Amino acid sequence: MSKLLIVDDEIDVREFAKRFFKKRGIDVSIASGGDEALNIIGRHRPDLVLLDIQMEGLSGMEVLRKLREEKNDIKVIMVTGAEDPSIIDEANNLGVKGYIHKPLILEELEKIVMKELKISVHAN
Amino acid sequence: MISYWAFSSLINLITSAFLGFFVFSKNKKRALNVTYALFCLSASIWSFSYFFWQVSTAGQEALFWCRALMAGAIFIPVFYLHHLLYLMRIAQQRRGVIHFCYGFGLVFFFVNFTPLFVKSVSPKMWFSYWPDAGLLFLPFCVVWFWICLYGIWLLAKHVMLSAGERKTQLRYVLTATLIGWLGAFTNFPLWFDIPIPPIGNIFVSVYISLVAYAIIKYQLLDIRIAFTRAGIFIFVYTLVLGIPFGVGMKYLGSGLWLMPVSLMAVFATIGPFIYLFIQKRAEEALLQEQRQYQMTLQQASLGMGQIKELKRLLKLVVHIITKAVSVEHAEVYLLHEESGQFTLKASRGWKHKNREQVSVMELDSPLVVYLKEYRKAVICEEIEQYVRDNDAKEFKEIADIMKQLDSALIVPSFIDQKLIAILILGNKKAKKSYTKDDMAVFTILANQAGLAIENAQFYERMKETHSQLIKAEKMATVGTMADGLSHQINNRLHAMGFIAGDALDTIRSKKKEKNFAGMEAFLDEIEFSLSRIEDNVKRGGEIVEGLLKYTRKGSEGFEEIGFDKLLDSAVEMAQFKIKLNQIRIVRNFEKNIPGIKGNFTQLQEVFFNVIDNAYDAMMQRKEELNEDGYKPTLEFFAARKGWKLEIVIKDNGIGVKPENIEKLFTPFFTTKLSSKKGTGLGLYVIRQIIEENHGGQVKFTSLYKEGSQTVILLPSMVEG
Repeated sequence: MSKLLIVDDEIDVREFAKRFFKKRGIDVSIASGGDEALNIIGRHRPDLVLLDIQMEGLSGMEVLRKLREEKNDIKVIMVTGAEDPSIIDEANNLGVKGYIHKPLILEELEKIVMKELKISVHAN
Repeated sequence: MISYWAFSSLINLITSAFLGFFVFSKNKKRALNVTYALFCLSASIWSFSYFFWQVSTAGQEALFWCRALMAGAIFIPVFYLHHLLYLMRIAQQRRGVIHFCYGFGLVFFFVNFTPLFVKSVSPKMWFSYWPDAGLLFLPFCVVWFWICLYGIWLLAKHVMLSAGERKTQLRYVLTATLIGWLGAFTNFPLWFDIPIPPIGNIFVSVYISLVAYAIIKYQLLDIRIAFTRAGIFIFVYTLVLGIPFGVGMKYLGSGLWLMPVSLMAVFATIGPFIYLFIQKRAEEALLQEQRQYQMTLQQASLGMGQIKELKRLLKLVVHIITKAVSVEHAEVYLLHEESGQFTLKASRGWKHKNREQVSVMELDSPLVVYLKEYRKAVICEEIEQYVRDNDAKEFKEIADIMKQLDSALIVPSFIDQKLIAILILGNKKAKKSYTKDDMAVFTILANQAGLAIENAQFYERMKETHSQLIKAEKMATVGTMADGLSHQINNRLHAMGFIAGDALDTIRSKKKEKNFAGMEAFLDEIEFSLSRIEDNVKRGGEIVEGLLKYTRKGSEGFEEIGFDKLLDSAVEMAQFKIKLNQIRIVRNFEKNIPGIKGNFTQLQEVFFNVIDNAYDAMMQRKEELNEDGYKPTLEFFAARKGWKLEIVIKDNGIGVKPENIEKLFTPFFTTKLSSKKGTGLGLYVIRQIIEENHGGQVKFTSLYKEGSQTVILLPSMVEG
């Protein structure tokens, strides 16, 4: 079973995405901040992380930097709001799979996630 | 003792000779002065001969001086009339009369050498040698009197027709004329054996003096003083030297020469003191009015320079005017730059008039055009007089406008070449006319008022510029908030997108199942989703509302503001620009401190800027100094201090280098690294709002690499 980690400080985003992807047979875990995310990644080893850049406390970029420092090449998709282009460049250099811009329709996200997890999307 | 008759002629001689010369020397080319001088010359010849006739001791000698005095007397009315015609400005129209008079004078001048004029001298009343009329003396008298009376009649007619200062002036001359001629006429009865002595002889001097005064006064203002001085000099020295002289004449040849000589010595010694004493008194009296005006003007210019608010300034101007001359009403019309019209801006004393005031004068109004062209004050009576005299239709309109304004005097106010204001003065309460002195005074006042008005207008424009700068700064700040704001709003939309997406997914799979069991759980799920959407909408709405509140102008008025609440609203705005989680904000004040008396939106702007600046300074320190365990902390203290509330804001940011401290409050000066972050207007706006708009105080101190402290004093709601 593919494992997905959703990191976002917005409770609605986390909870509804979790519910949505669970219905698609994915093992979803959630984190509300950077520290919690690193913790879960260490313990749970998800296949894909949806990482919000702007968060209270440890930001998404800081999480990404730490992961790459620890030589962890886990698949990451950044979720961006209105970030500076320099941050996007840095994220690219740190080997992210892509970014999604807020706001995003859930169906679009589904396609991206399914592709990265190599699960074919069918209307079930 | 010399006789009164001789003495009076001596006085007449001194007065006419001196004043004739004086007036002539003032303007040698002006016909008015020249004809007056000629008149004085003939009066001098008459008086000179009169004196020697009176002191004559032999019949032949007396007859000679009699003929000599008549040589002068013949021309007295001729020059008198000529002078009067110039004074009334009708010399050109009456040239025929003038020619006739000079012809008459010349004819009798020659007749004077024959016994046909003065036949002989004989004792009459107290006089040993009074002349007897010759054959032609009666016809001479008829013409001579006719010339005098014609002059008086013309003058009286002119007094009736004229107005204003001119009327005063001519009436004055007419009075002098009547006194002078009545005096002179007393010389005639005895010729015809009517027993009336020439008692009025001395009044000729009165006429000469009064007319000289009028001529000089008409020309110059301060000549009055010089003239008074001269008059007093003559008076004092005639007495001082005349009395011993008279005494000497009486005792002439009697050997008692010691008495007149010693008298002369005594009088000559005290003469200068008497002269100085009288002169000082006279000048004081003359100068008093002038001094009063000068005082008013001085106070006015001082007062006007201090007022920066245009409306109050104009009120003061009309106040000064009504106070200075006690005028019925006064108005100021001010140039409106855009339309070019002159609009009524201040008025005083109009209320008792039961009619509408003129509120606007157009640029092409004849009055405005006139003031622009002639650049001087207009006296209504003079304009009306001019319209009557010259049938000048072009000025009729101006006179009509002045009537509509109920104005007696109008004074323009110029700055450089530009007419910027018009001062309107009603009639004086004492019903007196405006004089040249008034015009001079109000012209100076108008010019000073013009400068003060320009000053106030400049100040108001500057204030406008300041408020525009504050607004621009706010808008620039909103620009820097764009990132934070769009992030916040995106988060709402993003969340709602997920909620809706999941709900749709649930509904679609339910529909596909075609199994409507478990409907309750399904509906619960949808209900929850929708309530979450609603919550996000609410939160999004709050963000937008906060922004709008911040950018809208807000109320201009002052209200009671709780400092805690004010900080909340500033922080709320600040979060759109800065990452509040990066810093610690500490509120070190009691919840129940007195409220601030101020404008909410403006003060929100102040504290937003304070937080923003502190944040940037602390982030800069964090990046540049990279200290271990550095905790960015922003502290707020507030305490009552007398009638004010003292707020101290302390940060432990990077601080300001000493060389930059002075420049901090200068608009557009910034030390912030990225130009995107700062407009350079933050502290400038803080000072404007606190000091200019709230009458408070801002003090900023800073130590580089240590932190900054801002102390703000604001009026509070504390009473007593």
